[in-house]
Amino acid sequence: MELKHLKDSWDKFPEVSMEERPVLSSDLEKIVVRNPLSDAFYLKNKILLRILAGTLLLLYNIYQLRIQYLSGGSEMDVQIVIFITLAYFIYFHTRLLLFADYPALLGLRLMPFLQKIETILDKYILSFGVVSILSGFYSLAMLEKVLSWRKAGSLLSNHESSIYKWLIIIFLSVSFYILFLHTIIPKYKKLLAAVRKYKEGIGVRPQKK
Amino acid sequence: MNNLTKKQGPDQDLRSLLKTQHRRVYSICRFFANNYREHQRLFADIISAASQSIRSRRGDESKQVLLLRACMNMAALHSITLDLEPGTDRSIRFKSPDYQKNMLQFRERMGEIPDYEKMQLFLQLENVSPEEIADLTGPLPSRNIVPKEGVKKNFIPYLKEKLIWS
Repeated sequence: MELKHLKDSWDKFPEVSMEERPVLSSDLEKIVVRNPLSDAFYLKNKILLRILAGTLLLLYNIYQLRIQYLSGGSEMDVQIVIFITLAYFIYFHTRLLLFADYPALLGLRLMPFLQKIETILDKYILSFGVVSILSGFYSLAMLEKVLSWRKAGSLLSNHESSIYKWLIIIFLSVSFYILFLHTIIPKYKKLLAAVRKYKEGIGVRPQKK
Repeated sequence: MNNLTKKQGPDQDLRSLLKTQHRRVYSICRFFANNYREHQRLFADIISAASQSIRSRRGDESKQVLLLRACMNMAALHSITLDLEPGTDRSIRFKSPDYQKNMLQFRERMGEIPDYEKMQLFLQLENVSPEEIADLTGPLPSRNIVPKEGVKKNFIPYLKEKLIWS
């Protein structure tokens, strides 16, 4: 590559034609406020939504725990596990949001920027594990509600059915994870693989065929 | 009255910076955009990325540095997005014959080089000093990566790696 020749052509480069010019000054107002990251790279709203949902569920869970505690209910163990899972869920997402620091993300140097995008995607994929566990718990709770409306005696909350209840929760959680693994996760995994590949191959010259 | 003051504040600074520096943004598009649609998209992405990082800057980085970082970061994301789109047409197609001719000549002279070199070349052509170039890009990841398996880590660094994401 001859830098001198490139410099010559660089200096003589014509302006983009008016027709192809990307931005008119009137569009600038709209452009400066729009989000430059595409939907797949920008997870802020999704994370915020999860934190909000987790907080609401945690408040409901605290209320449920109080009822169980006062009435000496048999569902105390399930409610405690949900409480711990929800607390971890909120902590995980808050930490991810603080780590991502979206306003400052685009001002990072190239390599730390790519590294951060990679970590955010990686952790977001991991978060589906906790989402699956919570989905397991709450789908069972909904199932119980439906059954209790249909037939009062068919609740799974008896001491005898406790082991089956945990088995159902595990089964539902694993099923939800498999569902996520085949629906939502591949999109993020593909993106993560592309970012990793790009980061590792950014300085490698393409081989001539 | 308040609105008027607001408009003449940081937004006005940003506007004037973009007015003086927009040629740099056009320039990086020569390396990464193959047609006018990509050119328009990349230009708009860089401008909005630069304005965002300038508005929310906390350190003592200058606006020009943040603009150049936005150029490179968005160019990298543009390349990743193109790689993900199957059957992307990589041929150079611009409406203006003069621009098309210059683009073809420029790409031919540049040859097939990796994106990292494109970015360094862009900074060189934009007369950025070598020290600043190193600061803008950051070091390349090491090619001699030790496989994770079989490497025993001490507990504290392991815990630190798990707890503090970097």
